[in-house]
Amino acid sequence: MHRKLILLVALVIALSLPMVASAHGVKIDYKMDLAIEIRASYDTGSPMAGAQVVVYVPGDPSTPWLTGVCDEEGRFSFEPDASRPGTWDVQVRLAGHGAMIHIPIGDQLAATGTTGFSTLQIVLMGACVVWGFVGTALFFLRRRS
Amino acid sequence: MRRASVLVGVITVLALGMVLGCSPAAKTGMLEFRANGEDFVRQGFVSKDGWTIAFDHVYVTLTEVTAYQTSPPYDPLSGGNIESKGKISLSGTHTVDLAEGGGDADPILVGEVGNAPVGQYNAISWKMVKAKDGPSTGYSLLVDGTAAKDGQKVDFEIKVESEYGYACGEYVGDERKGILKAGETSDLEMTFHFDHIFGDADTPPDDELNVGAVGFEPFAGAASGGRLVSDMIGLESALSESDFQALVDILPTLGHVGEGHCHCDSH
Repeated sequence: MHRKLILLVALVIALSLPMVASAHGVKIDYKMDLAIEIRASYDTGSPMAGAQVVVYVPGDPSTPWLTGVCDEEGRFSFEPDASRPGTWDVQVRLAGHGAMIHIPIGDQLAATGTTGFSTLQIVLMGACVVWGFVGTALFFLRRRS
Repeated sequence: MRRASVLVGVITVLALGMVLGCSPAAKTGMLEFRANGEDFVRQGFVSKDGWTIAFDHVYVTLTEVTAYQTSPPYDPLSGGNIESKGKISLSGTHTVDLAEGGGDADPILVGEVGNAPVGQYNAISWKMVKAKDGPSTGYSLLVDGTAAKDGQKVDFEIKVESEYGYACGEYVGDERKGILKAGETSDLEMTFHFDHIFGDADTPPDDELNVGAVGFEPFAGAASGGRLVSDMIGLESALSESDFQALVDILPTLGHVGEGHCHCDSH
């Protein structure tokens, strides 16, 4: 038993030792960045060159997250924060014309989530509290009888 | 046994009372509905054909004004009904004067709802209907003003009998509207773009706005003795066929939400 334990520990130590890296190895990393490009144009098809752009993040409709200007082709690009999935709102305005587009990114449920307890949760918690009182009362009553 | 049952019942009632007392109260705020003729109405403007127009009164009669919380957001360009997860309606029919208050006035308060659930109201609908009383009785829209050009002056009163229903998406402007928080006040706006009727000299002549606008020259041509008072039936006779049709086509486009668009059904 003692010998088996020593062999096991030795094996674990051996597997934990770092191997010498090969100088000719290749390491490749990748990451995915989501970029959104909008193109704003009038009903006639003419680009809204120089239009003002305001981007709003899901869950904070009051505070502009990013502002910018469309280029001569009416295009504007931005990289949304991948940690904030939901519906991103982009407003474009120029000389009395404007519109807003709503872009779903990632998990749609996150865009409509709510804080606090749901009605069902409140009912279940309430039922547990009530049963706690009832059960305690019955316990003491049984002991007394 | 009976005493035990009574004791259990009393404890149950007390426990339920404690639970209900801890339940979160409904969160509500004040939601205002406003109508805005913009500076075009409050301060006047120059039409696409050079007439300087000033408005004394612009009466619109509004009813079934409703704000919605929609998800996904309502697209007015696609038309159709507004599907919402919650809505608040303003009761009654309201005639307001968009020219009231002078050049620096705020958008006109049509009404308010004091216990509106919190959330983001990102769609609105309303109907423009014929007034049943007041200065614009019988008309959904009455525009009263003066126009001047090259020494000429025309006093005009244009009255519209047609009724319109608007379904609009989210307000587009300097700041977002309709974001209601508990205990606070927020507002939504019904915007009316009267430059669509008369055009705008500050906008290029080939801009879509001016191309579709009637201008004021046709109305001036229909005036008699420097005065024009007419409803749509009268204008159909007084204006050329193309000018009258342009007016019929452009009136439904009056309704906006800031610069945001609306879907319109006319009656």
